Amino acid sequence: MTDVRGSGERTATNDGLQTNGHGPEGITEEFVAEWRDSAYGCFSSGHKFCREVCPVMQVTRNENHTPTAFHANIVAMEKGHLSVEDVADDYIHCVQCGACELRCPNTLFTGDFYRHRTRTVDVVKAMRALAVDSGVEQPNWKRWVEATMQASNEPVVDGVSQETVRDWAEDLDIPTGGDTILFVDCEAAFYRTSVARASALVLRQAGVKFGLMQEQWCCGGPAAEMGYIEHARTLAEHNLADWRAVGAARIITLDPHDYISFTVDYPSYFGDDYDIEIVHITELIAELLHEGKLTLTQPVDRIVTYHDACRLNKRKGIYKSPREILRAIPSLTFKDVDHVTQWSYCSGAGGGMRIERPEIAEEIARRRMEKAAELGIDTLVSACVWSERPLSERGAEQDPAIEVRDLMELVADAAGLDYGGVQR
Amino acid sequence: MSVVALSDSVADELRSILGSDYVLTNKSSLYNRARVPAPFPVHRWNEHIADIVVLPETAEQVSEIVKLANTHKIPVVPRAGGTGLADGAVPMTGGILVDIKRMNKILDIDLVDRTVTVQPGINMLKLNEELRRYGVIYPDDPASYPCSLVGGRIGTGGWSLIGARYGHTRDLVISMQVCLPTGELIEVGDGGGRKIRKSSTGFQLKQLFMGHQGSLGITTEATLELVSRPEAEFAAFFGYPDYETAYSSTGALAKSGLASLAGVVLFDEWKVDYLRRDDEAYIPQPPELRCVVAVAAYGSLAETKPASQVIMAIGKETGGNYLGDEVSQGDWAARHDRYATPLHGRTPEGQVVPMSWHCEDAAITYSALPMVREEWHAIAKRYIDDYGVFDDWGMFAYTNGAHKPWADYLVEIDIGIWEQRLDDTVWDAWVQCKREITEVSLKYGGSITACHGSTREGDAEFVPREMGGGFDVMKKIKRVLDPNNIMNPGKNRLDEAYED
Repeated sequence: MTDVRGSGERTATNDGLQTNGHGPEGITEEFVAEWRDSAYGCFSSGHKFCREVCPVMQVTRNENHTPTAFHANIVAMEKGHLSVEDVADDYIHCVQCGACELRCPNTLFTGDFYRHRTRTVDVVKAMRALAVDSGVEQPNWKRWVEATMQASNEPVVDGVSQETVRDWAEDLDIPTGGDTILFVDCEAAFYRTSVARASALVLRQAGVKFGLMQEQWCCGGPAAEMGYIEHARTLAEHNLADWRAVGAARIITLDPHDYISFTVDYPSYFGDDYDIEIVHITELIAELLHEGKLTLTQPVDRIVTYHDACRLNKRKGIYKSPREILRAIPSLTFKDVDHVTQWSYCSGAGGGMRIERPEIAEEIARRRMEKAAELGIDTLVSACVWSERPLSERGAEQDPAIEVRDLMELVADAAGLDYGGVQR
Repeated sequence: MSVVALSDSVADELRSILGSDYVLTNKSSLYNRARVPAPFPVHRWNEHIADIVVLPETAEQVSEIVKLANTHKIPVVPRAGGTGLADGAVPMTGGILVDIKRMNKILDIDLVDRTVTVQPGINMLKLNEELRRYGVIYPDDPASYPCSLVGGRIGTGGWSLIGARYGHTRDLVISMQVCLPTGELIEVGDGGGRKIRKSSTGFQLKQLFMGHQGSLGITTEATLELVSRPEAEFAAFFGYPDYETAYSSTGALAKSGLASLAGVVLFDEWKVDYLRRDDEAYIPQPPELRCVVAVAAYGSLAETKPASQVIMAIGKETGGNYLGDEVSQGDWAARHDRYATPLHGRTPEGQVVPMSWHCEDAAITYSALPMVREEWHAIAKRYIDDYGVFDDWGMFAYTNGAHKPWADYLVEIDIGIWEQRLDDTVWDAWVQCKREITEVSLKYGGSITACHGSTREGDAEFVPREMGGGFDVMKKIKRVLDPNNIMNPGKNRLDEAYED
């Protein structure tokens, strides 16, 4: 059977675009030609099962901010009704969590056999890129990406620079290079350094040999999410060159956002030449626990729930390993909320939302913590360092306050490791 | 009526009611509120654009908006989920589109008198997520359960997949606050009490404000029925070698007298052929299986356990072959996702093309089901052969009466349309096809729609014929309640109320 849903395959003809030629119209034409058939896959269903699961839509209740609109806009562009200028604002309102893709009936009923998945996140990224290429830029994203390019790392705190990117590991004596590299995300390297330190010590305790990069730049993911593809590629090219220069074959990521960059974006940039193995740390630690290479003996007397990081749970289907790890921690009371219920949860930290629409991001985080508070817990555990800042801010407002800890911090506690660093 | 252009001063007044963030005039906001999943003339998208979109949060704001519109004689189009299968939420003559999605709060949960009072923009799945902790549910369960909103359910007179057991929307809404076309907020229910289920005081006004497709006002609050969360759910799917056997089995199951029976649905040969041909999730069945009947029961264990034995016995005695637990439980659990599945069909030559799914509904008595089925498929075949952009995805018949499922059925034929090929010729053909389908429904004493509504071209022109003398009463009511015809004009032929 012919698959008519692929983004790039044209299996049916149509009355053609209203725009022709080159320049801005030309790139819009190319964009529409690439995405219109998959847009019709949504448009022709039109049932909006995605809407109530969307963390953004739950807050704004604005039909423009739905995946249905994200696809319908493309059909309207094809018909010549709307331009990229008309729709660019709609696509700001997405955290790129992927919940809509999972809840889409088209995914649910064709996923098993055809491995089809509605690609709303890709649509949003592509439209944002089209907007940037067409000169329709968002001021805060532009500023963020420019600052990132200047410092080679995201401006998560004042004074981010290459000189300080390894400061978190100053006393840990981690070598440079080697077969396995620990990639420490900007937020963990500069803001919540306890996550980076806990991760490094846990890996060392389990006998994993790893090094750091010569020069670690931003993964490029945020720039790609905001539509700045060329900037993202520049960062990616540097990182890949650095990995190759130090002989790396495997990258361990702490951060789910990096995991997406390295497993989704980088292969699209580098094609078949990209032969680096990418591992997310929760998967690796669960495996080390299973093999008995890491044992957790120190009691952690906390009542916790787990926050499914969107990019692990919804984008990559990683929801078992964090739970296995939590269940291996002595004395921990774990009040789990299943990963499907958590499709509609989010911290608001992804997709540039905190940078361009901070008030929406804050409300998403507040609602997430409200759900956590209903469970009668004292700690929310996350495996996404980016979620930990907004969730901590909202957790402090709860009565009693809910502390937010990274899964690796808890593992290090249970392994009896004194990791230090800044935990905030 | 004449279309009144919306002036800047009206827009300013709307901003003063709502705040500027909630008054939208940009093109994307207008284009994304022009359509619903019903067949849409995508080539004439720009004919269904409102002039302005407003996003109210309170009943008082809705009232102010409607009063303003009435003063200036500007059309008002209420829009809830925009998931309807008729054109209720589609602007026909511009105007102010009142999008109520921000009105999604739960106002009161009363576990003693078993009601929940909500704003109309809340979704049933989300509502039930909140109710879960109290051991109760609001059992309005349309195929669009994960996305449709309470207000839209009321406006379209919604139908529930488990309506035989728990009732449909009109049975489950106890009372409402309604904003009339002149802007007054009134309470309607059975009599005057907000939580009274049966009264003989005055006229029974509640039903008047159900299924009017936004033509008589906007629901701004609703007090809904709460029922105990069912202890058990039972679903059984049976296969049959031919339609006749499946049809009599359906009748026997529907007449079983089981109070826990939530629904019986008969899928015909065309439906099974379509699933076999093009449905990715189809679980292969032997070729001799031509029709399927699904049955569901809900309630306490004390009810459903013996009921399940009765259902199994009737199914088998009437020629059904039980399809097993995987199909029965899985397909029933997937009942909401199922209805939105098809996204491709085939041309008469067999080429796979992206197609939109459109279903035509009607309410038909049991005795007429076999004839209607033959005639509807024959109509579809002619249009498929003549135009090459349609596909027949089969029919189902679903028990229709709340608490009395034995007599009439919601009947739907699913037709695929290659929407990318829509032009005036194809659109006119589609409308003509609908007209022929509608004619058959009326010929057999049915109703042209069981739950989608009769607002659309191809349906609307038959409303006067189906309603007879009742249509004159409708027009009089419309004119009294909405003297300036501002509420959702162009629907249900009600513009005729203003022709002298």
